[in-house]
Amino acid sequence: MAMRLPSFSRTKPEAPGVHVDRLWSFRPQSDREAGDAIVSNFLLHWFPAKISKASMAWSYSFWLGTISAALFFLLILSGLPLLFLYVPSVERAYQSVKDIEFVVTFGSWIRAVHRIGAHLMVIAVVLHLVRVFLTGAYKNGVGRGQHREQNWVIGVVMLLTTLFLSFTGYLLPWDQLAFWAVTVGTNIASSIPGVGPQVRELLIGGRTIEQATLIRFYVLHIVVLPLLLGVLFAYHMWRVRKDGGLARSDREGLLAQPRVTEVVATKTYTLLGVARGAAPTVTARTLEAADTTVNAVPDLVRRAAIAILGTIALVSIMSVFIASPLEEPANALITPNPAKAPWYFLWLQEIVTDTTFTVGSVTVNGAFVGGVLLPGFLLTVLTLWPWLDRSAAAVTGLWLPRERRTQNLVFFLLILAVLGLTFIGMVLRGPYWNIYWPWEAWSDIPTRI
Amino acid sequence: MEKRTNSPYPAVDRVVMALIGVVLVIGTGLFVWADREHDWRYYQFEFRRQVAEKFGADKAVILPHGVQQIWVADLGRADRCITCHQATSYPGFENAEQPWRTHPVEPLKTHPLEDYGCTSCHGGQGWAIDTAAAHGEVAHWEEPLLSRSLGEAYTLAGDKNALLQMNCNACHRYDRETKGAGAINLAKQMVNEKGCRACHVINGFGGTIGPDLTEVGEKPPEQYDFSRLSGQRTTFAWHVAHLKDPRALTEGTVMPNFNFSTEQAQSLAMLMLSWRRYDLPSRYVAGAPRTDPRSAEELAAEAAMKTGPGGWFVQTGCFVCHSVAALGVKSPAQIGPDLSTAVEDVQSRFGMTLDTFLANPTGTMSVVLSRQIILTPEQKQTAIQKLREAFAEHQRQRGAAATPAGSH
Repeated sequence: MAMRLPSFSRTKPEAPGVHVDRLWSFRPQSDREAGDAIVSNFLLHWFPAKISKASMAWSYSFWLGTISAALFFLLILSGLPLLFLYVPSVERAYQSVKDIEFVVTFGSWIRAVHRIGAHLMVIAVVLHLVRVFLTGAYKNGVGRGQHREQNWVIGVVMLLTTLFLSFTGYLLPWDQLAFWAVTVGTNIASSIPGVGPQVRELLIGGRTIEQATLIRFYVLHIVVLPLLLGVLFAYHMWRVRKDGGLARSDREGLLAQPRVTEVVATKTYTLLGVARGAAPTVTARTLEAADTTVNAVPDLVRRAAIAILGTIALVSIMSVFIASPLEEPANALITPNPAKAPWYFLWLQEIVTDTTFTVGSVTVNGAFVGGVLLPGFLLTVLTLWPWLDRSAAAVTGLWLPRERRTQNLVFFLLILAVLGLTFIGMVLRGPYWNIYWPWEAWSDIPTRI
Repeated sequence: MEKRTNSPYPAVDRVVMALIGVVLVIGTGLFVWADREHDWRYYQFEFRRQVAEKFGADKAVILPHGVQQIWVADLGRADRCITCHQATSYPGFENAEQPWRTHPVEPLKTHPLEDYGCTSCHGGQGWAIDTAAAHGEVAHWEEPLLSRSLGEAYTLAGDKNALLQMNCNACHRYDRETKGAGAINLAKQMVNEKGCRACHVINGFGGTIGPDLTEVGEKPPEQYDFSRLSGQRTTFAWHVAHLKDPRALTEGTVMPNFNFSTEQAQSLAMLMLSWRRYDLPSRYVAGAPRTDPRSAEELAAEAAMKTGPGGWFVQTGCFVCHSVAALGVKSPAQIGPDLSTAVEDVQSRFGMTLDTFLANPTGTMSVVLSRQIILTPEQKQTAIQKLREAFAEHQRQRGAAATPAGSH
């Protein structure tokens, strides 16, 4: 890029700290400018200078965190045009979504990108959590100064924020699907003993799902939750750097005999403009060793670009072929049969169904067991797991080590159970919440005319 | 130069990166294509060709391009039907194939497109611009196009287009008879003849043996029992079957079998489905009163004033403000003084004769007589004469009242 933006003549030396150009410099004119360019470059500080090959491997992390972040970025990007088109009022929301679908240029594609991106983000974030658990990446490998367990907790909060973001977005089209999914979801919340009804009232801003609910969910969806997730994301990334990178790279530091490599004579910091001509020589040790690491630029950057652009390409193409549903306008008087929660809550709805039963004259309230007690317990254990896991630091960043076999197995079975219940709720539950096998047709849904 | 990396990745990663670039370009092409691909482009092209052929190229070039709509703010309808049906109000294509046919002129005279749009009569999904979605032949759209082919699917006994009349009755619900809505008129006649109200409440009155039918059209299909119905599983089909043989569909019902003909049963089913909770602006409701309701006494009193001795004051509009008690005219507002004594009164109030005052009025009357009640010189003469008559009558009445009752 040979572009040079116009600048003032440099007859006088500029005062320290003053950048005389009105825009950026693309070609440094002085050592100071060169140094500033490096020091103030965000991307160069996000990534380390060097990264271990092992932590860059596709097969270690599957890059699920990057993919989640890419989807979050894509959701913000596709959400912006929707902000101009969608009207958060019960009278006009449905109509504005119809207009987005039918007559806005690229409208149905943008909406599909937003919807598919949101569903994929829930999947990617959950898979990311599963990967981190199975590799024990919440553990402190090297130990001193690391706080990976805190980043795990941040991650769990980010998963919940992602779910809530998706859930608040679910209501906005104001169709039957939205209305009843939110009805089912918030009814589960109301089964918390004691404060349930109040929690539901706080959530939906009244006792029925109405304009107050819509504007509440809307503001949460477009301002509060994205902001929260953005801040948590920044902190999450910062902690990854401060904890020494991915847990996998700790393996290098844990080698019994760190290999001291030869002095890298050309390793200089001249770009900083502080030591021109007097480059300090650095003895590279293990982590920086040439045979186990690569430069972040371009190798890491290129891989990140592959993950991000690949995600965007996938969502873009899926959005051409998968139409977003928009059912009948929301109607509080007509309950669709069956009425289902959003798919990522269907395992809870399924547990609610299965734990509601009557023995003699006693009815067990499934909504409390399945909607509050069980998920609350699972979430608490999940959050506290880094402190409950007593395995050695040596297995940090290893896929399925023998030492963590039991916990990984239990975790894996729990995940399978959740997936199984989600499958039952999504695919097998039909009218009247009866089980329909995939090859059985649901009874015809009658129409008016 | 320094060997920057010993990375084994670039060879593969560069290729992957390049492939993703290609996929991104393909993806962009795909969504641009998907956004442009619509049947209306062909329909507009074809209509332009037909217009050019029939009326010349200069008429064809001025036809509108792109998505068209009729926005009826009062009804919240944006009907984009005219994107394909461009001939709707373009005379000369009365016998063309759809979607290029001219709409019959007669119904549009009383139901202009800009006030009613298309879907308020025809049904369908006005927002959509693709055939299947626009005609409502898609999931999650419950107002299909009430077309001839739908009527044929139901093998309607009478007019195959009759389903459309259900939507007429949204506004014409309280009409006894609606021009052009033969099936609905027949059904309304049935309702009265067969005495449906013996058992059912309709529009607020009737018996309570059967369910209230006032808004039966709103009852969702999910709430009907279709287990004994064969054939189409729709509310309409259910009602037709139920009207023809109530017991066949509802076990133990006391509703008698009226031996309706197919046409009668179908008409009644249409009427029932048209009884919905429409949220219509009042100006769309046929027969809704446009004035404040007045009692019979008020109407009788006004009629008496108009034909009585003071009729002239009523017709001219003086009575809006002035009573003329001597002639039996009573103003509803009584803002101005009673005109029975105007001959005297004008002299004492304004210091001029009635003739002078009416020729050059002052105060409020100058405004009224220049803007609201504009009288020709002849009419002013009439006014003076009428006022004198009123004064004479006033004096006669006072004289009669002053005379003791037993003196003659």
